[in-house]
Amino acid sequence: MYPLIEFGPLRLSSGGLVVLIALFGGSWLAGRIATWRGGSALAEQLERCFYPALLGAIVGGRLWYGLFNLDLYGRQPLQFLALSFGNMAWPGALLGSALAGWLWCRWRGLPAAALADCVALALPFALALGYTGMLLSGEVFGMPTSLPWGITMLGAARHPTQLYYALAALGSGALIWRQMQRTLPIGSLAAIYAALQGLSVLLIEPLRADSLLLPAGIRVAQIAGLAMLLAAIAWARQQSLQQARTSQLPYPEITQEG
Amino acid sequence: MISTWRAADWNRLLILVLLGGVLLIMLTRAQGAETTIPAAPAAAAALAPAAQVDHPAPDFTLSDLTGAPVSLSAFKGQVVLLNIWATWCPPCRAEMPAMQAILEQYRERGFTILAVNQAEDAASVAAFTQQYGLTFTTLLDTDAAVSRAYQVRVLPSSFFIDRNGLVRVVYFGPMPRSVIAGTVEQLLQEGR
Repeated sequence: MYPLIEFGPLRLSSGGLVVLIALFGGSWLAGRIATWRGGSALAEQLERCFYPALLGAIVGGRLWYGLFNLDLYGRQPLQFLALSFGNMAWPGALLGSALAGWLWCRWRGLPAAALADCVALALPFALALGYTGMLLSGEVFGMPTSLPWGITMLGAARHPTQLYYALAALGSGALIWRQMQRTLPIGSLAAIYAALQGLSVLLIEPLRADSLLLPAGIRVAQIAGLAMLLAAIAWARQQSLQQARTSQLPYPEITQEG
Repeated sequence: MISTWRAADWNRLLILVLLGGVLLIMLTRAQGAETTIPAAPAAAAALAPAAQVDHPAPDFTLSDLTGAPVSLSAFKGQVVLLNIWATWCPPCRAEMPAMQAILEQYRERGFTILAVNQAEDAASVAAFTQQYGLTFTTLLDTDAAVSRAYQVRVLPSSFFIDRNGLVRVVYFGPMPRSVIAGTVEQLLQEGR
């Protein structure tokens, strides 16, 4: 664990480095997907969202971690500003970047749903790489297990929860790419991503040993996961009902317009 | 198929997922401390003192920040986290707030932290503990003799010593908060 790479006076943790590569690799991939789906105009719009969304991810990730470790962070509020990947939380980063991206799109008049679809196609692969980085830095580690694929870490053979998350991300990515071939309302891929991400967190988080907890041992990430899953279903409900309404419009109304 | 669903069908799905999710969250709540520390062998107390798992912890006497001598053997009967650290070491600094919080949580059940600073001057160590609001016993290993006795090559190094004075768990490098708390909880539960 914690392999460090030395560059003269600088020491980079290999885990943090992999997360950085995942971040920039993911944004590059999202840019290519945007070019391919909507031409250079969409790619340019996506680029304009990158830094606001990144800022949202950093603020959200740190706030989430700090608020659920308030007994530590409340004592030293300056810790909220410390730059370290280790003390970020993924649900907060995801929600923070989604919120910041959405607000930025509204303010600048950018097509949020189309851009979110591009991100949903790229994010699972970046996430899979990022979780592999967590394996290097020893974060997101699992509960002790006697299963043959347990990895020894912090004094016990443990569930490789980082790899479970990485595999879930790859599986989600494959599913979303398959859905892309169907004709779906704009924003559907992002909704499918949210549903799959929520489901992965709900199912994998229980195997994690360092979850952020609420009183009574409730895992905060699972609540966020359930909320994401429900939000995705609610979005699908609205789309589906809207579609049903438009297809049931009385015939004469359409002819009047035509 | 889904496009033929009516509002009532969607509502049913939403309620089902909500209930199922809440049930899953309740069923998979984190259950106290994990048990990962194997029991110490009965003959362990008779072994030579060494900074190794299941050996009696080597005793030492060092000065605290007020200059008063403190011995490890004085804490027999308590669970002790012996943490060897330095102010210039970022991972050491990073785990200090978590250690402080865990001390406050378990102090009354017989848990103590001895933070042995490796060869720094008293003034800068005192300034550091004050800045971080640390109340655990901080000891000055001015000539690094304890570091040598415990064969410390990595900072921070942590030794968990049980109520009988045996080294039970050794960690090199920073420890996640959940691991410190889990280890302390388990050693406290072993009783006396």
